[in-house]
Amino acid sequence: MYPWNSSTYSGQVPTGGLTRTMPNGLDDQEKLLAEAVGAARKQAFQMNHFLDKERMLDALKCASTMLSELRTSMLSPKSYYELYMSVTNELCHLELYLSEKSNKETDLYELVQYSHTIVPRLYLLITVGIVYIKNDSTLKRSILKDLVEMCRGVQHPLRGLFLRNYLLQCTRNILPDVLVAENEHEGNVYDAIDFVLTNFAEMNKLWVRMQHQGHSSEKTRREKEREELKILVGTNLVRLSQLESATLETYRRLILPGILEQVVSCRDAIAQEYLMECIIQVFPDEFHLQTLDPFLKSCAQLETGVNVKNIIISLIERLAAYNQRSGKTSGNAIDAIIPAEVELFEVFSVQVANIVQTRTDMPLEDTISLQVALLSLAQKVYADRVDYVDKVLGTTAQILDRMNMNNISHLLSVNQELSRLLRICIDFYNNALTIIQLNNFCPLLEKFDYTSRKSLALYLVMNILENETLVPTADQADSILTIITPLIKDDETSTTAANNSADAEEFAEEQGVVARFIHLLKSDEPDMQYKMLQIARKHLGNGGGQRLKHVLPPLVFAAYQLAFKYKAIAEQDENWDKKCQKIVQYCHSTISALAKADLPDLALRLYLQGALVIGEIRYTNHETVAYEFMTQAFSLYEDEISDSKAQLAAITLIMSTFEQMSCFGEENAEPLRTNCALAASKLLKKPDQCRGVVACAALFWSGKQNGEEMRDEKRTLDCLKKGARIASQCLDTGVQVQLYVELLNHYLFYFERGNSLITVAMLNQLIAKVNEELPNLEPSEETKQIESHYKNTLAHLRSRMESNDTALEVSFAGITLN
Amino acid sequence: MLVLVLGDLHIPHRCSSLPAKFKKLLVPGRIHHILATGNICTKESYDYLKSLANDVHIVRGDFDENLSYPEQKVVTVGQFRIGLCHGHQVVPRGDPEALALIQRQLDVDILITGHTYKFEAYEHGNKFYINPGSATGAFNPLDTNVVPSFVLMDIQSTTVVTYVYQLIGDEVKVERIEYKKI
Repeated sequence: MYPWNSSTYSGQVPTGGLTRTMPNGLDDQEKLLAEAVGAARKQAFQMNHFLDKERMLDALKCASTMLSELRTSMLSPKSYYELYMSVTNELCHLELYLSEKSNKETDLYELVQYSHTIVPRLYLLITVGIVYIKNDSTLKRSILKDLVEMCRGVQHPLRGLFLRNYLLQCTRNILPDVLVAENEHEGNVYDAIDFVLTNFAEMNKLWVRMQHQGHSSEKTRREKEREELKILVGTNLVRLSQLESATLETYRRLILPGILEQVVSCRDAIAQEYLMECIIQVFPDEFHLQTLDPFLKSCAQLETGVNVKNIIISLIERLAAYNQRSGKTSGNAIDAIIPAEVELFEVFSVQVANIVQTRTDMPLEDTISLQVALLSLAQKVYADRVDYVDKVLGTTAQILDRMNMNNISHLLSVNQELSRLLRICIDFYNNALTIIQLNNFCPLLEKFDYTSRKSLALYLVMNILENETLVPTADQADSILTIITPLIKDDETSTTAANNSADAEEFAEEQGVVARFIHLLKSDEPDMQYKMLQIARKHLGNGGGQRLKHVLPPLVFAAYQLAFKYKAIAEQDENWDKKCQKIVQYCHSTISALAKADLPDLALRLYLQGALVIGEIRYTNHETVAYEFMTQAFSLYEDEISDSKAQLAAITLIMSTFEQMSCFGEENAEPLRTNCALAASKLLKKPDQCRGVVACAALFWSGKQNGEEMRDEKRTLDCLKKGARIASQCLDTGVQVQLYVELLNHYLFYFERGNSLITVAMLNQLIAKVNEELPNLEPSEETKQIESHYKNTLAHLRSRMESNDTALEVSFAGITLN
Repeated sequence: MLVLVLGDLHIPHRCSSLPAKFKKLLVPGRIHHILATGNICTKESYDYLKSLANDVHIVRGDFDENLSYPEQKVVTVGQFRIGLCHGHQVVPRGDPEALALIQRQLDVDILITGHTYKFEAYEHGNKFYINPGSATGAFNPLDTNVVPSFVLMDIQSTTVVTYVYQLIGDEVKVERIEYKKI
């Protein structure tokens, strides 16, 4: 009779009555745990007491009783773990004692097997087994084999998992880790692998079995419990990865197949997902690189519930990071990075395709996510392989083709993943010129609906602007403009054009972005630049008035600049003259398109700028064309601009432009001058008329005649006089005085410039008029402004009169200020 | 008191953006007022100025579409009355005497105008005239070598210290000009 079979043995075994099958709550758990831990401690105390007294059998009896606490079914995994920790902690004392004091005479290994319940018996067996191995390593092989087999005796999942965990913990430092043992009974690394793989398989089975126990309504709780226990199973893999004698070859031939076989055959989604992830994390990257095929093949065989996407993405990210890490530390890009014979991208590419094909249940989003992962692999590991990136895009397009996916709505979640794919490309290269090298970029883009194509187009253009990517050739310009077509044209497929006024601001912003982009179409070759402008014009011409307003002016200005460029290289390019003519034609037709799109103000200003440009460039026939541009501006002024404020602004602009131009001969200049004067005098409001006519004076003074300032004293004065006459017709005295003060200033201006027809008497007359009227004005903010304007004018006069500067050509003598 | 003076951006008509080196210099929170001489052209450009300082004054340039910008404006900063006008209305273009007409009309100590795309700062008849040039170095038919420039005025009681920033080649050059009110 062995001690624990005696009547003194008090059965601590939970009786397993119906009422006790399920712990009800946290409090219960705490209470149960406290009780169990208390009982175990008591026995541990006893055990240590007996050990001190060297009463081996009594100590073993107490140990057994203590271990019986682990037979409970009442505890949650978390509580059970705590109990397990405190019990195994005590077992250490026993192990320590046994390894010091054990004598060969008592066959402990046999002795402990008589413990009459299996859980304590196996814990003790393991404890003693380890002691044996430590004393005599030739027993290692057989005892390890024996222990891992014996543990099959416990088939209760929770108890079994912890028991095997104990086995794994105890054998941690004694697993044979040599290729060939001196004594074959000591075992070699293959025995260790065998041992851990067996233990792993058994633990995994126990863990999986948990899923199928109990009522189906408690599925969620069970899954949570399994989640808490997963690390026990994973520890086996950690142990395998720690075997130093296990080479890549061993891993490929034994370890990985062993693990994968168990993973695949257990047909449990939770286990598969966790263990695949575990493999990726615990084994070195060098191993993964050489075993991608089997690993990825197994991925294809996993259960439907498994998120294969995450597993593969995790592996890709790890390898990509490995590549970057080792690339950096080695300093030598070629050395430590992924060996050339591992065709990482190809392998993943094939296997991912395989997975996509076999796992028909996989949501499309996940399929696309896999492509995103592949893409990021290609970019991180093979940064210069544009063809790899292109291949991913091609594959994605094919997948969509097969599913007949077209016009993919921006509201679908798959759209987000797809957009991400394209955005990653744009962000990675930060160079639109590389993007257009991707042959599959456009076909993939075609799969989107208008809204998302537009937002991707905008994303691309913004990228171009941020990186100031210059587009140097017409073909490249064409490709990019094709990609951004949704920004350039309305959706052709939808008849209900999106004309929400609420989006007007957004629309203007988008068009502004396109307009800014046009300036980045830039070649050093003027001929190429011209080609680009033509292509851009073709693309941008069909967007409707709302778009033309934004995108055509940049083309016109770019063309004007190009004309100057041709002029600068006139000596090298004998055809510069003809080319300038062509450019001006291009501008003319572009501006008239704006005029036709009901944008007279803008067109007028562009014509005026054009006239200036033509006047400066002076190619053959320039005068006629400049005249044509001016007359175009005039007819827009006369026919299209009706608002009086806009009219005044326009005619002022026409006059100030004309004043600067020196390319006209008299026969062209005269009608233009007369027309300006006429237009000014025909303005609707008197004050506008007055100001317009006075401004006209400049045309006859500083306006050019045969390249020289005209200095026509009489006609200059005529304009001023006409202005004065119009002012006298104003009924509002406030406005009238204001105009007189302004007139006084203009008279003074030409007086100082040496117009001999302007006399002191004329100035005195104006001063007298202002002096007479100004005091009668009602006090107001306007009156105050007129007063200070007048005061400043007089101060100016005074300073001239008091000046001793003999260089002053004009004499201010005789002016009466008061 | 720091006052940023700039204009004739012509984005997106004539340029794609402000020079990157200028954007780096123009940081939010340092500038108190912005005086813009016009041809700001788009709301984005206006919003950009708004992001640099809350107090933004703009007059209308010949290519500004926004009809709400006035032709002329007077802003008082410290002891200075500052007049703002784009200058396309002035004939002859940029003529100091012609500009003096506007100075007298607006009754200002400093007159700021644009339209010539050429930085200038000078005293004339005891008044101060500033033209910040074009901040983007926008294309100009009458001057094919426009240097991008803007002006920062530091106004302390009766003194204005004007710093002009010019992008010459690829470098930003700064010059300092002082003006005292009498």
